[in-house]
Amino acid sequence: MKKIKIFFSAILFSLISTIALADFDWKKYAGEKIVFAYDIHPYVDALVEKLPEFEALTGIKVDAQIFPDDVYWNKLNLEITTDSGAWDVAGTGVQPTWDTSVGNHNVDLSKFLNDPSMTSPDYDYNDIYPSLRSAMTWDIKGEEVVGNGNGVWGLPHSFENMNLMYRNDILGKHNIKPPKTLPELTATCKKLKQVEPGITPMALRGVNFWSSVHTAPASIAKSYGVVDYVMKDGKIADTGLDSKASIKFHKDYVAMVKECAAKSWPNDNWYQVVDALTSGNAAMAVDANMFGFWNNIKDPDGKNPSGKISFAPPPTAPGAKNFESNIWIWCITMPSASKKQGPAWYFMQWATSKKMVLDGAMMGKMVNPIRKSTWDSADWKKYANQPEFNNYYDTFMEVQDRAELFFTPRYGFGEAMNAWSVAMQEMVNGRPVEETLKELAGSIRAGI
Amino acid sequence: MIKQSPERSFKNFLILPSVIVLLCFLFVFFYGVYLSFTDLKLGKPTINFVGLKNYIYLWKNPLFWKSTKLTIYFTLVAVFVQALLGILLAKLFSTNVFFAKIFRPIILLPLVLPPMSVALMWTTMMNPERGVLNYFLGLFGIEPFMWISQYSTAMLSVIFIDVWTYTPFFTLIIYAGLLGVNQEMKEAAQEAGAGAWITFWKIELPFMMPYVLIAAVFRIIESFNQFDIFIGTTGGGPAKATTVYSIYAYIQSFQNLNFGRGTAILFVNWWLVLIGALITIKLYQIARNRVS
Repeated sequence: MKKIKIFFSAILFSLISTIALADFDWKKYAGEKIVFAYDIHPYVDALVEKLPEFEALTGIKVDAQIFPDDVYWNKLNLEITTDSGAWDVAGTGVQPTWDTSVGNHNVDLSKFLNDPSMTSPDYDYNDIYPSLRSAMTWDIKGEEVVGNGNGVWGLPHSFENMNLMYRNDILGKHNIKPPKTLPELTATCKKLKQVEPGITPMALRGVNFWSSVHTAPASIAKSYGVVDYVMKDGKIADTGLDSKASIKFHKDYVAMVKECAAKSWPNDNWYQVVDALTSGNAAMAVDANMFGFWNNIKDPDGKNPSGKISFAPPPTAPGAKNFESNIWIWCITMPSASKKQGPAWYFMQWATSKKMVLDGAMMGKMVNPIRKSTWDSADWKKYANQPEFNNYYDTFMEVQDRAELFFTPRYGFGEAMNAWSVAMQEMVNGRPVEETLKELAGSIRAGI
Repeated sequence: MIKQSPERSFKNFLILPSVIVLLCFLFVFFYGVYLSFTDLKLGKPTINFVGLKNYIYLWKNPLFWKSTKLTIYFTLVAVFVQALLGILLAKLFSTNVFFAKIFRPIILLPLVLPPMSVALMWTTMMNPERGVLNYFLGLFGIEPFMWISQYSTAMLSVIFIDVWTYTPFFTLIIYAGLLGVNQEMKEAAQEAGAGAWITFWKIELPFMMPYVLIAAVFRIIESFNQFDIFIGTTGGGPAKATTVYSIYAYIQSFQNLNFGRGTAILFVNWWLVLIGALITIKLYQIARNRVS
């Protein structure tokens, strides 16, 4: 009897699978046209290059609208929150999506992921790194974002984890080892200033925008035990930015900025950090690891410092058991106002499919790849382990185990975190750490 | 009932498009004012009328008062320095000195550059370590200056950029005024024994003043609203050192997504612009009456 049951179950399963397989059809939306918007970025270059493959596979035409960074984010906010319906797929990050998802301006993609007729059987969502999936998953309760839920608000497209990157030619010349703790980093800067007075020891973001706290500060602060928010019964109860751990971290961090950073630190952002490290004007940076990868690529003009950037985990608190690494995820989302959600979803799953992620990585553009299968593939291993990339691959594998989003999901994330970046400028400018953090925490508490 | 002639009706019909355009402008303005009384936040599904809540928040917020001081300080200092330099350059251009001939066309160049390009250009030049300005200062043995990277020097550096960009505007307007000064009066004063300084102070300057003030009206309006140079150089920092109203409103609206609060700041700014412009227009009328 049991054998008969198993036999019929197997037949039933294969029938269902066959029906499901038969249901999914890449050509279902042939003849449709969608609009895809993104920031100017190598990640989107890879997609645009491969668009003819998608159009041949599905018969869906894609109008890729790529905008300069300085206009894109405001445009994105306005397009999505005003439900203009002009875009069917939009590139963005996790944090901006917290803000736009509360008003149902984004589509919860779980309805597509759980529908076998809409998702290719070989898509394998669980192949995407768990920390990336979890960062894109939350629920909306009332007008609030509540983490660890069931709603999937975007698909990770590529991502950055924070590494210590250093010029092996500069550190090697003076036999300096990459620092492991924040005080060690400060001491290393002091030494570098003595032996290489012409360069800045550390390229560091310092602008009064949250982008400057999500790299080095968030990663290092976590190893000190700092949290942005204290949770109680699944709800945000308080901020942790004026805790003892936070005061200790900020004292060490401010000392490090004063010793290590360029004098232009308050005005330095991503572009200045990339430029300083790649030009050799700076010896180290704690920032997104993929720019170290990109600048190690051999280019025919010889402009890249190919092979000269090495990688290490971010520095920690003194005596900390582990390092921590914050992540920034580029994801693609679907505005609720899109009238072509079916074709848009087809494009999204293609753009994050195993094949596209591997192809994009092998083009040297969609780095870091989001899928574990890509990291396990022989092709990618061979490519990413070429001598010019130094220890990029191994460091990624080491860091990725501890890489996750530092920030607590919340509507209005930017207001509190922008205030943190301004407070950082004030402390570096000489304002007492305790006083500044108390005022910062007070303003954040008022908004909870 | 008064019956209009067909000709008058036709004239009314012709001005109708202008009236409609004017109403559209007014609608946008008053809609912005209305938003300042709401809790509009980008992304949130509901908008509620909150009365004076946004204004009360600003009133109690030290950053608002700091921003008020910075906005007024920036406007007054920048416009005053531009007017002063504008008068000097206009006076120089009215002579036949060799440099005047060369610089007359060149001086207008900053005005035709997009303000954002100006900001990015100066940001690069003002880099404390690798900027060209400190390189030149170094040639004279002067220590590197922190320019826009330090709290105490950031606002003065932005004023410096604004002065560089907009002094030509003053120069142009005042130079035009100077060309209209009655030559016979000048010659009569010189024949009566008045020196160059007395002639300038008693004759030329009073004639120039209406032009200075009319240029100041435009520059006061633009300076209160100056955004591009701030966002392209300091972004309001370091540590709020240059958070003028336009930047404060931008941060509230686009970074913190709080449009209600952002429009409240802009409405306060509008009042400042209005008061500043009205005072300057009054001064213009006084200066003009004196000349007449």
